[in-house]
Parts: sequence; C-alpha cells; structure tokens
Amino acid sequence: MIQTKITWIEGAIVENEIHMSIVELSQATSTSEELIMVWVSEGVLSPTGSSPQDWRFGGDSLHRTKTAMRLSKDLEINTPGLALALQLLDQISDLRAQLIRLGNNSNTEG
Amino acid sequence: MKFKDYYETLGVARNATEADIKSAYRKLARKYHPDVNKEKDAEERFKEVGEAYAVLKDTEKRAAYDQMGSNWKSGQDFTPPPNWNEGFEYSDGGFGGGAYEGDQSEFFESLFGRGKHRQGARGSHARQDQGMHFKGQDHHAKILIDLADAYNGAKRTIALHMPTLDASGHVTTQERKLDVSIPKGIKAGQNLRLSGQGGPGMGEGGAGDLYLEIDFHPNPIYRVDGKDVYLDLPLAPWEAALGSIAKVPTPAGNTLELTIPANTVAGRKMRLKGKGIPSNEPGDLYVVTVIVTPPADTDTQKEAYQAFEKAFEFNPRTHLKG
Repeated sequence: MIQTKITWIEGAIVENEIHMSIVELSQATSTSEELIMVWVSEGVLSPTGSSPQDWRFGGDSLHRTKTAMRLSKDLEINTPGLALALQLLDQISDLRAQLIRLGNNSNTEG
Repeated sequence: MKFKDYYETLGVARNATEADIKSAYRKLARKYHPDVNKEKDAEERFKEVGEAYAVLKDTEKRAAYDQMGSNWKSGQDFTPPPNWNEGFEYSDGGFGGGAYEGDQSEFFESLFGRGKHRQGARGSHARQDQGMHFKGQDHHAKILIDLADAYNGAKRTIALHMPTLDASGHVTTQERKLDVSIPKGIKAGQNLRLSGQGGPGMGEGGAGDLYLEIDFHPNPIYRVDGKDVYLDLPLAPWEAALGSIAKVPTPAGNTLELTIPANTVAGRKMRLKGKGIPSNEPGDLYVVTVIVTPPADTDTQKEAYQAFEKAFEFNPRTHLKG
C-alpha cells in the first residue's frame, strides 16, 4: 500500500499577523492604490505610518476594503457616503454582537 | 429552464420608464446588498435584482426581452424560441457584455450569453514572451469551520470551486482540493492568507495569494462574539436556590465542573476566564444561567409546588403593585 504524505498548507491570520502595504492591499482587494489613498484621507481606512509608502494596514483593513469596494461598485456611493455606510454597518455589527451576548431568551409571548 | 419576469423582480410595470427602473433597482440593491443585509437569501436576491437591471436598463436587451411577449409568468417552463433575437443589433459587440459580472441565471445565459467570455482573455499566456512580469491574481473564498477547530486547531481538506475557461472558451467549474492547516485561535470574520495559492503569475511574477475568510458553522450550544463564547446553562429551581455543581462542556471538548452558588438568579453571567477562543489574550467563556421550572403533572408534583407556596411568602409582582 502506498502511503501518500499530505503537506498541510500553513496560512497566516491576516488580522493578527499581517500588516499589509498599500501595494498588497490593492492587489488583495482589486482596488486601485489611488482609491485606497482617497479612502484613507476620508477616514474609511486608518493605516499606521506617515506616507503612503510607509502605510501599514492591520486589523480588519482587508475586510473593510473589500466591503468598501463592493459597496462603492455595486451601489455607486461616493466616498463620504461610503464612510457613513461603513460607520453605520459597524454600529449594526456592534448591536448584533450585543444580541448574541444576550441570547435568544428575550422572546416575547402572547 | 424557468422563465424569469424581470419586471416583477424589480417590482415595476412593463411600461416603466428608465428612471423608474433605475430607482427601483437602486432601492432593491441597497436593501439586498449582502454587505448590508445578513438574511440568508439576500445574496441570491441581490443577484436576481442585478440580473434584471442588466437587461432592463439596456435599451437593446430590454427590447429583445420585451418581444418575447408579456404572457410569460415567472417560473414557467421556458425555451427560447429559435432565432428569437434575430434582427436585433447590439452596440456592445453582442450579448454578454452586461455590466453585471458573472453568476447569471441559466435563463439569462440562454438569452444573452455568458458575461465572462470576453473577460477570459485577461491574463492569457500570449503576452508571456514579451518579457511581461505580473504577480498572479489574489483569490478569495469563504470556508466554514467548527468552533472546536478554533479552540484546538485543525487540519481540513477543503474543496474550492473555481470558474475557469476551457479550451473552447466556455466557463466550467473546476474543483480544487486544498489541505489546509487551520490555526488555533482563528475567529469568525478573519482571513487566512495562503501565500502563492492564488492565480498563476505571468513571466517571473509569482502566483497570487489565496485568502480564506473564516466563519463558524452554526452551533446549537454556543454563541460566539469575537473571542468570547456564551453558553446558556439550564438549572432546576432547587439547584439554583440551594447551590450545586454543574457539568459544563467547553467547545474544546472538555467538561468543567462549575460551582453554582446558593441563591443564583436567572440571567446570572459567570465568567470562566481564558476559556474563550485561545490567543495571546484568550477570550472568556460566559455561562449564563437559565432557570427551568418543571411542569406539575402528577399529584406528588402538584403537592411539591403547593409546599413551595406555603413555605414562601413570595410575590414576584410587588413592583407592579398587583
């Protein structure tokens, strides 16, 4: 019997271990560097570092940029609108997290 | 194949103006956008609305669609009449150039072709000799794992479905199996980057990366909030009142013995520090008490409740002044 050895692919958790450059973020989200710069200036994304070459995007930047890209493309929202939409989505997700913590015991009857 | 009534999908009349169609589409697109709407069928609805709009916003496609007549009903079995679009001229070089990319229904494709045809030329090997070097495209996929995998780490073989073009230019779905090591401590919504597992590069450009977005299978016992995990612990009234020791299963697969102090009330949150999803600063496991009252069916059980009533002068509604 032939035993094949499986090589398990190891990945890195983006949110914990990776701080992307603008080039990496642009490539990963199919978003132009110019647009990312606009989003940073509008506060949609908050990298560390002082200039675009030094910017490092951590935490949920990848998820945020993907969402921003989809929303701006699918719904044609401009940047200030996008910033507002993302802020409201953050609030909704905080509220959802609260619901999770509370559980489903708040069912009302009658 | 079923007929699709695109007017019905957008909720507009057949004689709706372009402006009506646009505003109806916009409203529905905002409502069902999968980033906004977390309902299960939102993505499906969003695609349907996008497909309907791709046809109805385009004067030529709309005219071609309209000439099939208004007698068709959504869901009716449908085969496009032969040469149904004869005599229609399309300024975008034929059908298939719809603004809406991919994921069209069979119905849409039978009428208007597949939108991805022409995109397929992108990234071809033809330019390779010209000394072009590009990194391959990064790919994204979502995978579901068990909460236990986040606690213990896991090795999983996952199957990804990738649309690719075959030799004749048709889109086919290829299945690719990947053996992935799921790191301990990963949380829902996080992305796992697998270097070099994306699209192939061109020239000396390396392959792109594959990003796997993690979500947990729904779990009947645990609720997860970031790295914290919640569990409802049902207690009998006497266990809560007298105190007891309850066995609590953890997502890691262990069982903890939890001391329930006397006079524990319903909704009390007990924190098991560090028993949430592991990481440098691990999350906590919260045990929320629920008090379950057994029904009084037999005489003995009824007497027991009556003994309760006698033993306590208890009115739970004093604050209602009732």
